[in-house]
Amino acid sequence: MKKIIATIIKEWILLRRDVAGFLLLFIMPAILIVVMALVQDAPFKDYQELRFDLLLADNDHRRLAQEIKAGLRQGKNFNVIDSIDGAPITNEKLKALLQKGTYRVGIIIPKGATAEVINAANIVANSISKKMGIGTLPQREIRDSMYVRMYFDPASKPTFRMSISFALDKYITYSCSNLLVGRMSKLGNMEGIDSAQGDDFKKIFQGIGIKEEALNDKAIYNQTINSVQHNVPAWAIFGMFFIVVPIAGNMIREREERSALRVELIPYAYTYVALGKILFYTMLCTVQFFVMCAIGLWILPLFDLPALNMGTHGWVLLPLSICIAMAATAYGYFVGSVFKTTNQAMPFGAISVVILSAMGGIWVPMDILPQAMQRIAMISPLHWGLDGINQVILRNGSIDRVVLHMCVLVVLSIVLWLISLYVNRDRQHSI
Amino acid sequence: MPNAIEIRELRKMYKGGWTPALDGLSLTVRRNQVMGLLGPNGAGKTTTINIMCGLVEPDDGTAAVLGKDAVTDKLAIRKMIGVVPQQIALFGNLSAWENFRYIGKLYGLGNATIQQHAGNLLERLGLDKHADKRIARYSGGMKRRANIIASLLHEPEMIILDEPTAGVDVQSRAMILDFLKDYHAQGHTIVYTSHLMEEAEQICDEVVIIDEGKFVVNGSPQALVQNTPDCKRLEDVFLHYTGHSVRD
Repeated sequence: MKKIIATIIKEWILLRRDVAGFLLLFIMPAILIVVMALVQDAPFKDYQELRFDLLLADNDHRRLAQEIKAGLRQGKNFNVIDSIDGAPITNEKLKALLQKGTYRVGIIIPKGATAEVINAANIVANSISKKMGIGTLPQREIRDSMYVRMYFDPASKPTFRMSISFALDKYITYSCSNLLVGRMSKLGNMEGIDSAQGDDFKKIFQGIGIKEEALNDKAIYNQTINSVQHNVPAWAIFGMFFIVVPIAGNMIREREERSALRVELIPYAYTYVALGKILFYTMLCTVQFFVMCAIGLWILPLFDLPALNMGTHGWVLLPLSICIAMAATAYGYFVGSVFKTTNQAMPFGAISVVILSAMGGIWVPMDILPQAMQRIAMISPLHWGLDGINQVILRNGSIDRVVLHMCVLVVLSIVLWLISLYVNRDRQHSI
Repeated sequence: MPNAIEIRELRKMYKGGWTPALDGLSLTVRRNQVMGLLGPNGAGKTTTINIMCGLVEPDDGTAAVLGKDAVTDKLAIRKMIGVVPQQIALFGNLSAWENFRYIGKLYGLGNATIQQHAGNLLERLGLDKHADKRIARYSGGMKRRANIIASLLHEPEMIILDEPTAGVDVQSRAMILDFLKDYHAQGHTIVYTSHLMEEAEQICDEVVIIDEGKFVVNGSPQALVQNTPDCKRLEDVFLHYTGHSVRD
């Protein structure tokens, strides 16, 4: 045990003196977390929490246009702009502003849109009333080319276009339903209904609605994915696996400066030194993980981001992070053993971690990756680490939910250590 | 009491090698002797030392160090010997003290023992005032001396030195040689390789010249000079037996 402790102390002294290595382990992942959380904050909000300026050219000036405007204004996503400097927005002005990129979305409500909707409602009401033997409303043929037209900044993403389109469609449908209810009321001599009753009709016509509910009664436990919940654990794991650079570099440097030979010449020392190194770097990675969590808890809120939620069983992160740290350390040990020079090990170590992180869902959540990539991700230890942490901080899972993840990481670590041991034993030593 | 080293018919061929590194080498080193193992480049000196330390296994033949077999008892041998490699086998970013403390711990020594042994050796090799300086900042001669101290912390019965004075200044060389003489005087066995024949003449009781993995000749430096025709110095004897052709 004294030999292991001596190795841990020695590694600590060496790390303390390697300022660049120290920065790489703590400062770089911290910067990465802050930057990525800020950069990905908007995409993670998925357009639901954002407010967009929406240009509106109203050529109708009647009920449909008013209801669309009112609906868009009621929703929290749009800031409806129908005039600039007191002048109403024309079709040409709207297109010019979008083309310049000043605004991202605009809609043009055509002249006679309300009349067309009323005509459509009358046709429906008349077809019903004919069967019931009650009066008829004026109607004419439906025009084919009557559309509320949408225009987008050419740089807008398809998901953004789809989101706006759905929202607008909802308000038009809602407006048409209201008009139809009004027509039916007129036929049935129900013009006298007050607005409160009108609201009841809205509910009746809504039929089965949609209501999102939380899985847990307590609001604090209902964490959904956001930029912080994804980026803090993701880049913390990435930073942990970047330990491959100092570990492999350290091992190769010790072989090159021959201090590894000194250890080899001391009876029974090799195993203790290996254990000491593994323990030291595992502890270091674990500390690194919780420092990154601390950044999520206390630093990110200073940038107007939500604080990291550690879930209801936050303590599970300790054994889980130890397993991730073991896998990261073992991978570093493996790279340091297999490669002979730092010129080989450093680029391989760094690039392989980037590839494994991309495969493992560090850059973007796994859910949006193609099925094939989701299956390939299973070979990335970073995936097992991140998925385990998500079980804890997003799904409030306890230890039973991460046992499989921990086992996979530990088995992987053991396999990598055994390969490293074999490679080191097989390597020709010489004084 | 067995000899310090008994090597019989050692053979070793490295993977991809054209010629054998050792080709039936036999030699004996008595206890409390300073034996110089001499030979041109590629003669097999380093392979012989590697086998004695248990770092390399011979293809054939036997090697016993302090009565222990170099293949089956290599860990026991490493406890009893100190090996001073030609290159500086120390942690460059640790100070001398930190190196010795760590290496001492790996040998299983207690703090007090390390303090005492390292303290004495640092003083004798003139490094006591620089013990807190990092090895990377030492001069070549200081590194060589620190390298020797690290190999002697566990007080081995025998030390094996591979060119311990290569590339050092005159003062450091003189200090190292004086130290080795003192160490020998305390009853320790020393096996020593060098390309510097003057050094071997100065400190060795006996030299063994090997070439192309084979034993060539042995004897005390004085006897070899006397018994070899037209030779006035050990260097002449060396050239007489190994030839003038350059070895790579």
